[in-house]
Amino acid sequence: MHPVIIVFLALLLIFGIIYPGRFFSAINFKAILRQFVTLTLFALGPTFVVVTGRLDLSYIGVWMLGGVLVWLFKPILGMLSIIMIPITGIATGLFIGVVQTKAKIPSFILTLSLLVTYTGLTALLAGGYPRAVDGYEFITTSLIPLIPTAFLLSIPIITAAVFLMKCTRICVYLNAIGSNEEGARLAGINVDKYKILAFLLSGVFTGIGAIILFQHLGGSAQVQLKLDSIVWPLVAIVLGGTPLTGGSGGPQRTLLGAITFTIFYRGLYLSSLHPTMVTLLVGIVLIVSIIVSARGLKGVTVT
Amino acid sequence: MNNKLLEVKDVFKTFDRVVHALKGVSIEARENEIVGVVGENGAGKSTLMKILVGVYSPDKGEMYHKGRRVPFPRNPKDASRRGISIVYQENGVIPWLKVYQFLFLGYEDKYIKFMTLQMDRMKEQACEILEELHVACNVEAFMHELPLSTQKMIEIARAILGVRLESEDSETTPIIILDEPTSPLTDDERKELFKDLLKMKRNASFIFISHIIPEIMEFTDRVHVLRDGNLVAQYDLSREKMTEEDLFRAIVGRKSSEYISRSEDREALGEEVALSAKNLSKSGHFYDISFDLHKGTCIGFFGPAGSGKSQIIRTIAGLMSYDAGDLKAGDQELKADELPHVRLKRGIGYFSGETGKELFLNWSIAKNISIINMEKILGKVIPVIHFSAEKKMAENIVQKLEIKSPSVGTDCYSLSGGNKQKVSVGKWLERNPDILLLDDPTIGIDVGAREDIYEVLLEMKKNGISMILVSDEPKEYFILCDRIMFVMDGRVQKVLGPEEFRKVMST
Repeated sequence: MHPVIIVFLALLLIFGIIYPGRFFSAINFKAILRQFVTLTLFALGPTFVVVTGRLDLSYIGVWMLGGVLVWLFKPILGMLSIIMIPITGIATGLFIGVVQTKAKIPSFILTLSLLVTYTGLTALLAGGYPRAVDGYEFITTSLIPLIPTAFLLSIPIITAAVFLMKCTRICVYLNAIGSNEEGARLAGINVDKYKILAFLLSGVFTGIGAIILFQHLGGSAQVQLKLDSIVWPLVAIVLGGTPLTGGSGGPQRTLLGAITFTIFYRGLYLSSLHPTMVTLLVGIVLIVSIIVSARGLKGVTVT
Repeated sequence: MNNKLLEVKDVFKTFDRVVHALKGVSIEARENEIVGVVGENGAGKSTLMKILVGVYSPDKGEMYHKGRRVPFPRNPKDASRRGISIVYQENGVIPWLKVYQFLFLGYEDKYIKFMTLQMDRMKEQACEILEELHVACNVEAFMHELPLSTQKMIEIARAILGVRLESEDSETTPIIILDEPTSPLTDDERKELFKDLLKMKRNASFIFISHIIPEIMEFTDRVHVLRDGNLVAQYDLSREKMTEEDLFRAIVGRKSSEYISRSEDREALGEEVALSAKNLSKSGHFYDISFDLHKGTCIGFFGPAGSGKSQIIRTIAGLMSYDAGDLKAGDQELKADELPHVRLKRGIGYFSGETGKELFLNWSIAKNISIINMEKILGKVIPVIHFSAEKKMAENIVQKLEIKSPSVGTDCYSLSGGNKQKVSVGKWLERNPDILLLDDPTIGIDVGAREDIYEVLLEMKKNGISMILVSDEPKEYFILCDRIMFVMDGRVQKVLGPEEFRKVMST
């Protein structure tokens, strides 16, 4: 069994014992699902990139810039302006992929600078204030009690990501590039094409996910970059078992990481710990999971 | 003539109790000379050099410095105190340091006054030293701005400087070991390097390790030939008349008894041409290479390292481009800038014996085999991987090649070297390309496993796959090839049949 599953079950057990009434309550259940969806939809796309041994930090930027573009284009395009989010995602993914591959710039620094640029651009376009956009409330209208609609909507997205990564050759080629790029080239893989594809998939999944997240996180264009929203999806990816060095893992692992991290976070949330303490612990979890994944876990099969 | 400066006698070194790296080697370096040490991979050159600089300690042996018996150095610092230092093949240079900073790197404590570095004094001294050693360059330049040959010279100057600063006896001539210094350099840069090196001879003695026979012939005073941990020959090039081929033969050895006759396997050359090259050239590497590779036959490019043989095969594989000439597979032209994946589509596969390059070690056997056989396991309508087909395919190969492993799901890093190689070869067996390029197909595996690999390759050849071989193992050419092209300095010198080849190699 994957060690993270054990961690997951252990956390469930521990928090269940400490807060018997509150942890297994309907409210907490709903909160867990809500947070799980947020994390997953942000982390799903970048996972494709991390598998190749690279990093894509642009997801929050796509969500922010996409949101403000929706606000900006609403008077012109009407309801259709929501497509600005996936367009931003796809364009971003393609741009990063081509620049990273052809100009051979480290992806970390490239996507980080792009994120900063997007934040600036978002604030500029929005005039410095968050802007509420009405009319998309239907996306998250409650359908089934207790289960957030965003969660239901994310199911096909998650399925598509896992399908791509489990059942098609994309999985093999992206893993090959992360595991041994030279070997992948020798095996006759068009390495550059698949590297660009990884970033493009990241953009596509982030773009589509961000439509849901746009409404899920309040239905407004945000102008503030929060560190937590950058770091948490990364924690979900690494904790799930996709090492930052690439070569194994994938979206299915990210799901595992996202749910485990959510449980961990909700448990701390219910405790009387100060919020700064929670941030500290999140940092420690990230460090530990990076070390564990870098050193490799015996018995973790490559998906 | 010259006095003996350093001498080692009967040096033995064994690793892990079974690998006999050195079996009683003796070499000497005289004052102000360049002495060459040559040998194939695994002949023991590097081990010997590491003993000289104190990285390894020998099991047995004696060391003499100016005729006086001394103990072997305990570590590199100790070695440089005795006047011995080494310049490694690669990664010696720090590109973003200025010349004088790099020159004194690690010796700054000699230039510190009131806790500040005396930059001006360092620059001054650097100029003096470089002038003395005939290295022309601006000490304020960054290392990466200089040509590679100058960078190498500064590295050598640094080694000499290190010996001077560390040495107990200021009169001693530094002994600098150069571990394949020319391998990253182009032809012109090589010439520059040697021009400077010949001038530097006045200040130091050099032990020069190289694969490249012409430069050994031209620039060294004497040469020691190592093979399988023994000193098999030494020549005084200033007195003895030798040709490059003599030296080459001494290096690869007369292993005629090892040649297994495979002539019964050979059939007449096929009519159909699978691959043809006309005047293929890549400046600095190879020139005017022309051949026709017939279907179901094998051509070998044979020659010393640095002869351009690896570049030829890498060019055909699409890992390098060519400048001029024509390359055709059947009737399709292979353009110069095509990448390996395009070549593979045209039916050309590249098999490297280096498992680290070829295999995905953290993957299962099944995945390693299916990576180049994706089309066979994808669904016809929806391109989805059929894992049962993948497993079946791998099981088939494992059984055929007798790969010893618990299951096809076993990760490759847990396999032995020979079995890893079989997985690499197995994926190509399954792929069945028109042309298979073999780049040192059995490097680093034991004799038994080699035989198995040859069996598979011969079987594939019989089934009509054409092959091109490049190897460091002369025996391999005789076993696999129908024609052997002798390459030297990037040009084909002669074309031999396997029997002729055997005669040349065994006389």
